[in-house]
Amino acid sequence: MTIIEVKTVNALKIRSHQLKSMTPAEEEFQQQLGDPKKRTAAFSSLVRSYQERLYWHIRKMVLSHEDANDVLQNTFMKAWNGLDGFRGDSQLSTWLYRIATNETLTFLSNKRMRNVSSIDDVEEGLLSVLRADNYFNGNEIQLKLQQAILTLPEKQRLVFNMKYFDDITYEQMENVLGTSVGALKASYHHAVKKIEKFFADEE
Amino acid sequence: METNNKLSLDKIGKELPFSVPENYFEQFATQIDEQIGFKSSSKKKFLRPWMYMAAAVFTGIAVLTPVLYTTNSQRTAIQTTENYESYVLSQVDETVLLDCYVNDVPATK
Repeated sequence: MTIIEVKTVNALKIRSHQLKSMTPAEEEFQQQLGDPKKRTAAFSSLVRSYQERLYWHIRKMVLSHEDANDVLQNTFMKAWNGLDGFRGDSQLSTWLYRIATNETLTFLSNKRMRNVSSIDDVEEGLLSVLRADNYFNGNEIQLKLQQAILTLPEKQRLVFNMKYFDDITYEQMENVLGTSVGALKASYHHAVKKIEKFFADEE
Repeated sequence: METNNKLSLDKIGKELPFSVPENYFEQFATQIDEQIGFKSSSKKKFLRPWMYMAAAVFTGIAVLTPVLYTTNSQRTAIQTTENYESYVLSQVDETVLLDCYVNDVPATK
């Protein structure tokens, strides 16, 4: 492993144990992002590599396509402007997921702020947006699941989505959300229980 | 538990019920390229070496032309003078030269 070479070429500090867990593509991205001449081209490729998974990560939380598009744009622009601040303390994907998550939560909290009446209104609003969204092509049962997910507290919703739909490991989630693996497991367990109860109550 | 048999997560599956507009991701990436000032067109990459070469050739011509032109014109000027002198000398003999000297010298002074 050419860790020393990587360190000399790269302006970003990369720790050896992190390199081991990093994919070759991530390593290459980090090297190129550290080189001012290659930075724009590297970032452009990075957008193409990560845009889909980040989009779906956001979309599951904000539900409407338009909102997901806005949040995704903010995410990449934040990443671009904060590139100098990224020192390789975490994996590139973790860093991007973290920005996307923060942007999503900020978006939802702003929406809540604008919606002065009550917290429930935002969730109800999200559901009605989903029903009207041209890019929702689910059946009644899938809509019911989304409705059930919307009854969860925000953080639990995030954990449930990441685990259930994307099968992200608790360890990766821990890095993104800053919550311990134990707490995440408990959170997911509670979420599943609540969703099942929701289904039971609906019957 | 019997209600779970009617509607459960297992039954619903993990497929997301969402879609995106056609070519959305391609357009999104292009939009970000514009925002970060990245010109990704392959044409430009292909043209760049040719542009450098053309610029080099042009600079070369621009620099060398005055040098070559000056050298040539100086050489031509010298040759013209030499040719003129030998022609004149070939057309005159000693008497004409003397006449010329006698007549012209006072006039030039």
